[in-house]
Amino acid sequence: MEILEFKDQKCTPDIIHPYTPTLRNNGIPIVIDNGSYQCRAGWATSSEPLLLFKNLIAKPRKERSKKDTVESTQAPQLQVGNDIINIEAVRFQLKTQFDRNVVTHFEAQEHLFDYTFTHLGIDTENCVPHPIILTEAILNPNSSRQLMSELLFECYSVPGIAYGIDCLYAYHFNEAKPQENALIVNVGYHTCNIVPVIVEQQKERKRELARRLTEINARKREERLIEDEEKLSQLLYIQEMTEAGVDKEEIEKACAEYQIKNTQDLQKHINNLNVKIEKTKQKIIAANTAEEVEEPPTKQPKLNKMVFENEKAMHLFIQNAKKMRQDILNKKMTRKQRKQDMAKRRTAAGQERMRIISQLARKEKGNDDFGLRDEDWDIYKAISKDGGDSDSEAENEKLLELDDVIRAHEPTELDETSNPGETHQLHVGIERYRAPELLFKPYMLGSSDAGLSEVIGYVLSLFNSEDQLKLAENVVIMGGLANLPGLQERILSDLISIRPFQSIVNVRIVKNPSLGAWYGARKWAKSSDLKGNLLTKRMYEEFGPEYFKIHTASNPFYPMPKGQEVEIDVS
Amino acid sequence: MSGEEVRAEPKPVFKTASFYYNSKTNVKKRAWKSLKQIISTEKALPWPDNVVHYSSINAPPSFKPAEKFSDLSGLPAPYTDPQTRLRFANKEEYATLIGLPMDITAGYLALRGASSIVG
Repeated sequence: MEILEFKDQKCTPDIIHPYTPTLRNNGIPIVIDNGSYQCRAGWATSSEPLLLFKNLIAKPRKERSKKDTVESTQAPQLQVGNDIINIEAVRFQLKTQFDRNVVTHFEAQEHLFDYTFTHLGIDTENCVPHPIILTEAILNPNSSRQLMSELLFECYSVPGIAYGIDCLYAYHFNEAKPQENALIVNVGYHTCNIVPVIVEQQKERKRELARRLTEINARKREERLIEDEEKLSQLLYIQEMTEAGVDKEEIEKACAEYQIKNTQDLQKHINNLNVKIEKTKQKIIAANTAEEVEEPPTKQPKLNKMVFENEKAMHLFIQNAKKMRQDILNKKMTRKQRKQDMAKRRTAAGQERMRIISQLARKEKGNDDFGLRDEDWDIYKAISKDGGDSDSEAENEKLLELDDVIRAHEPTELDETSNPGETHQLHVGIERYRAPELLFKPYMLGSSDAGLSEVIGYVLSLFNSEDQLKLAENVVIMGGLANLPGLQERILSDLISIRPFQSIVNVRIVKNPSLGAWYGARKWAKSSDLKGNLLTKRMYEEFGPEYFKIHTASNPFYPMPKGQEVEIDVS
Repeated sequence: MSGEEVRAEPKPVFKTASFYYNSKTNVKKRAWKSLKQIISTEKALPWPDNVVHYSSINAPPSFKPAEKFSDLSGLPAPYTDPQTRLRFANKEEYATLIGLPMDITAGYLALRGASSIVG
């Protein structure tokens, strides 16, 4: 069976790249794909992005004790991007400039730009003398872009900016031969966008529809759910398996200690012979050698260590343990029964509860002495729906412990009671399939939004059948999540099910879905398109901060309605 | 709040020293508008009819009936416990489910957004 190990992602701090004279003197554009998950930045002249880091900053909290001391003991340093070695360690101090996929927190953005430019090696005074090609969210609100221009022009004094939509850059400029019409499905970190691109009589008409799941939250919640579920199943599983696993180790140790030569043979036996017989053999050896085992790593060996003077003492001990176990089980049973009875109306327990409640309510207000005596408060226990006390943690632990004890000494005892087939069952976790399924079934988390395939269907339905054909012929998936195994096949089969019988449907994933936007933007930056489409500082000052240049991969520009515009100083 | 601290750190040479945000209000906390606020201010403006906004490209609600999955295991769930409203797939799950305390069952319901009484 394939076993996948979960690896914590570790970051290595970025180096400060050399700022060569060629870069310095020629005003080489800097291409930044500013994604809500990751920022990719590099020079337009290099074939790969130089920097790849998560768009995060971690601000460690000041230590309380040091609060009074003055400046000298400064707050611990801000960690940005790949400076953060272990994300999990600072999980609660993390900040990002993004709200969904829109930049809203520009102080954080400033830190990240500082990081980017510093690590690109820039050392010119008071300016970053390079045009910036920056990606932004589809239909990025004007106010967000306005603040971005403000930051770049006034803080970094860049000579020019070009804004573009990541998925359009990736589509138009990273494809070898982009077809004219396409349905772009961009599955990203926070949002999924579905962008139909149709060329009509030389005039490109874009209609966008996006679907956003607050995926980070979704995923987190899902993960929490999964964790809980796994814990539950694993506890059950471990209960069954620990004994076998531990004993094996002990056998190996024991063999070494006693220098039994035929360890190999024994191993073969274990593999080949009837498992049941082997198990009992192991247990006998384990029980014999238990004394010699040093440093028991877990609870189980500790219990094994217990040695009794004679059979009788052991028997007595086990009987006792069994009795205790049964007691707890009985307690649990009655509690459960009571709880069920309480919840129902026509049971004696339920009626008794109502009787007490109504009696309490009937008491006259004037001479209410309820609560004076301590016993009064017990009434709450009697009428609580949980039936007084619930299964306590301590009790459950005790039960597990007793189970272990009994199993260690009388392995057959507990198994008799449960279904023998159960011990040969494997729990199959469905989490790996469930988490990505959220993309298609947001209702699993209580969202009323339509799923990915349904939205694709909806977007198609907005077009006439001719255009629908054109779009369905070329469905292009991109974005980091496009790496999900089977996503292409899934979308294809969903699409076939909603398209007319035997009509053409093609779904493909772009090459390198997560870096496509950067490559595309870079190619665009190198082409002649850049010159005319750069927003310069002069334009920024003349046309107002919300103004920007539109091009094939950009958002449409909708100037703020009149009367609301930010005033431009004409004096 | 972070302003002073950060300024104290060495500043990269390429930055303009005098820069400050025009539009940043001076309230100590919540200096930046959240996306929600941005969207609602944007919506309040008298836009021409043909303008498409960030908020107007939200996904439509689903028209398909939602499948039911077990709250415990995620398997298809044909059953619902009338007392807790939890969904379950088989009798083993039901056995665990009736032993769960109220806060856990409420948590499971909240996970799939079914905690409101109306829904």
